[in-house]
Amino acid sequence: MRHRTFLAYRQYRYLKASVLVVVVTTLIYFSTQFPLGHYGGTGLGYVLGTIAAGLIVWLMWLGIQKRRYAANNGDLKGWLSAHVYLGTTLIVIATLHTGFQVGLNVHTLAYVLMLLVIFSGFFGVYAYTRYPALITKNLGEDTLTSLLMKIADTDKQIKVLALSASDEINRHAMRAVTDTRIGGGVIAQFRHRPRNCPTRLAAEYLEEGGRSLKSSELHLNRELFALMLHKQKLVDAARSDIRYKAMLDVWLYFHVPASCALLAALTAHVVSVFFYW
Amino acid sequence: MKLLLVQVTRNKQGKPSRVQQTLIADSVRVGRGSDCKLFLPDPRVSLYHALIVRRDDDVFFMEAVGGTLMLAGAMERVIKLAPGQKILLGSFELNILPPEGEHELGIAWELKERMEDDLAAVKSHVRAGLPNTWMSKRKLSWAAALPILVAFLAWPTLNALQPSAIRSAKAKAALTADEAWDPGPLSSAHQGFARDCAQCHTVAFQHTKNAACETCHRAIEWHFARDTQAAVAMHKAVFEPAGSPTKCASCHRDHKGPMGLVRKDSQLCTGCHADLKSRVATTASPNITDFGKDHPPFRLAMRVPGKSGDATVVRVPQKAGSRGEQSNLKFPHEVHLAKRGVRGANGLVVMDCATCHVPDESGARFKPVTMKAHCQDCHSLEFEPTAPTRQVPHGSVDDVLESVSEFYAQAVLSDRPIDVVFQEGARRPGERLSMAEPAKRLAALAWANQKADAISQELMEVRLCILCHEISRVSTANGTRAGTNSTRSWKVEPVAITQRWFPKSRFPHVQHKLSACKECHDKTNSKSSADISIPDIKKCQSCHAGNEPKSGTVRGTCGTCHDFHLKEAKSNRSAAHPVNTPRNPTAHAEKVAVRQ
Repeated sequence: MRHRTFLAYRQYRYLKASVLVVVVTTLIYFSTQFPLGHYGGTGLGYVLGTIAAGLIVWLMWLGIQKRRYAANNGDLKGWLSAHVYLGTTLIVIATLHTGFQVGLNVHTLAYVLMLLVIFSGFFGVYAYTRYPALITKNLGEDTLTSLLMKIADTDKQIKVLALSASDEINRHAMRAVTDTRIGGGVIAQFRHRPRNCPTRLAAEYLEEGGRSLKSSELHLNRELFALMLHKQKLVDAARSDIRYKAMLDVWLYFHVPASCALLAALTAHVVSVFFYW
Repeated sequence: MKLLLVQVTRNKQGKPSRVQQTLIADSVRVGRGSDCKLFLPDPRVSLYHALIVRRDDDVFFMEAVGGTLMLAGAMERVIKLAPGQKILLGSFELNILPPEGEHELGIAWELKERMEDDLAAVKSHVRAGLPNTWMSKRKLSWAAALPILVAFLAWPTLNALQPSAIRSAKAKAALTADEAWDPGPLSSAHQGFARDCAQCHTVAFQHTKNAACETCHRAIEWHFARDTQAAVAMHKAVFEPAGSPTKCASCHRDHKGPMGLVRKDSQLCTGCHADLKSRVATTASPNITDFGKDHPPFRLAMRVPGKSGDATVVRVPQKAGSRGEQSNLKFPHEVHLAKRGVRGANGLVVMDCATCHVPDESGARFKPVTMKAHCQDCHSLEFEPTAPTRQVPHGSVDDVLESVSEFYAQAVLSDRPIDVVFQEGARRPGERLSMAEPAKRLAALAWANQKADAISQELMEVRLCILCHEISRVSTANGTRAGTNSTRSWKVEPVAITQRWFPKSRFPHVQHKLSACKECHDKTNSKSSADISIPDIKKCQSCHAGNEPKSGTVRGTCGTCHDFHLKEAKSNRSAAHPVNTPRNPTAHAEKVAVRQ
């Protein structure tokens, strides 16, 4: 059963509000004229700029608030819904504030940073709608810890079996047990199937070696091979889990710093405008 | 050989317990293989790791087979066993014991490096979650925000707080602190100090001061003349409400590109003029919002001669102006623009507007029409048929009279073969009047004066001057004119051609050159120079719409024709009104450039 997402919170309450805001500001923008055309310094420009700056600060405050209210799930959904929809309206409000005038300056820097924040947020929305389902599907009944326990169990069996196997097979099996890394650094966490994964190499070796073995060793080999494939499945699942969760998380490592950069640029923008009024 | 094998295990407190076993064999296999006599059950040990053999007599050797042997940190293939040795074999430590009793060799073995707990082992190879990597939202946030705060906020702010001399010096650097604050390119004229914001933005968090503008724009004109106290009061009321003068920047916004910062929109004017009467109760100007809708009829700047010879300029509605221009010049355009031409000195001359009306350098207006350049070819100022090359000067009356009188005096005294001289009997042809004949000379002078007087009168009143000028006969103030016995003289009314009918607006002719002259100024049937041929507002409105463009027309905003800073408002206008400058014939009018 699919539960209602934050996007549809209260019958799309914030979507409706945002559409209203966009339509109204756009209508006002195109129905007003200023002697020097539209730009941030007209009356409307100041109003739009104030709204946009207020929204930015409010949405960032929301980010902090979200952590505080993390326990209150119902509220969180509403906050998030508002965050996404009202954040999106900034594209229109801030663009109208600029009057479509850009340059190589701190003002356009703030604008570009704002767009980066918003579009990284869009990726966040995409991630939130896509990856939780994938995570559930990938784990099934398991959790990451239960997967690891299963891996440990498999390792134990592999170790016992490998004791009686030839040195070469034992070496591969032991490397699969001791050197198989799951997750790791930033890049490793995004790797679905790392090259030179010892478990995969061991499985390949067992599969390859199985063709040229004496019948006495064949049974052991087959058993080890089956264990190794099982482990690989578990490892793949654990890695996918880590990767999905990283995908779910990684945009925030852009979204949040970019938001802070935006706040800095926005401050510089506002100060500069009134400093040299 | 007989071996003593001692397995050492330790409990949690590290207290050892020993299990002893005696082994009789020729050689002993060491490894994790089940067939190994010295069985070391650990994955890190090879299946068949090493072999213990006895050579010759009582010397025992350990040879590496499938694994490696470590002795005192060195890897060995073969080790000659001696009591006290500690050999590392995979994860096991083998302690060689001295012979004891019946045993020829003793080996105590202990698992030194235990394999970790299985789950812990797996977990030690798992690192999940980006927070467990180097990435930190907090650090990244500071890393992203700090440089921006420093470069775009702290640096420019600190720079702006420094003395202006230091800032100006720094403005020459390749990269300036507040460059990134520049919201847009400056107008072309201001780009010279574009890198030094403080040139215009003198006080932080305050609008640009007028004083900053007036540093360069010293002689800027006002919106209307402040020549009376009432005008000064009105100016104060309108442009200095609450004691603070209207900011230059309220109209002139820079950083809007190089095209300049002069507003052309009507809002600039209609902001006040749409309801001027409510702002300035005493104004004579009507309310106006749009050229196409409620612009009042044009008013002509008419010159009204006063009683004492001076003249005032009054702006009258165009219809009232039909009483005609009083320029004191007789010039029927109809005659001069005749299609078949006008009889000139060298035959027929066909003229059109451009024959006389030549655009000035700006193209906006026209060079003055002058007697010398445009009239004199036909209207020769010769006065004596026998001397066709001689002309009176086109100057003051006195110059003319003097010139004529000098001519005849000189003629009668010299041997010029002028018929009249001969006829009057003053002298015979070829005869020179000598100093010895004063009576004759006096007679000659009398003749010359009389002749000159007659010719002058003819020029002034009949033949020449009267053709174009308003002439009246006057008596000289001090008796006879110098060198003559005549008391007659003439007054030529100064020519005052209106140069600007609409002194409060601009009309660049060059921008309208696609239209023929007569589309606006049809003079072909004008018999009198009193005729005014200035188009009315309807003529302009046939091409110019108001603030909003209409199909087939171009926009006509206030700025299309009007300036805010009026030149006439520059100073007290009573001194020299630029609208109509009388062209004084006594001052060689041709040489005086007519003021625009």
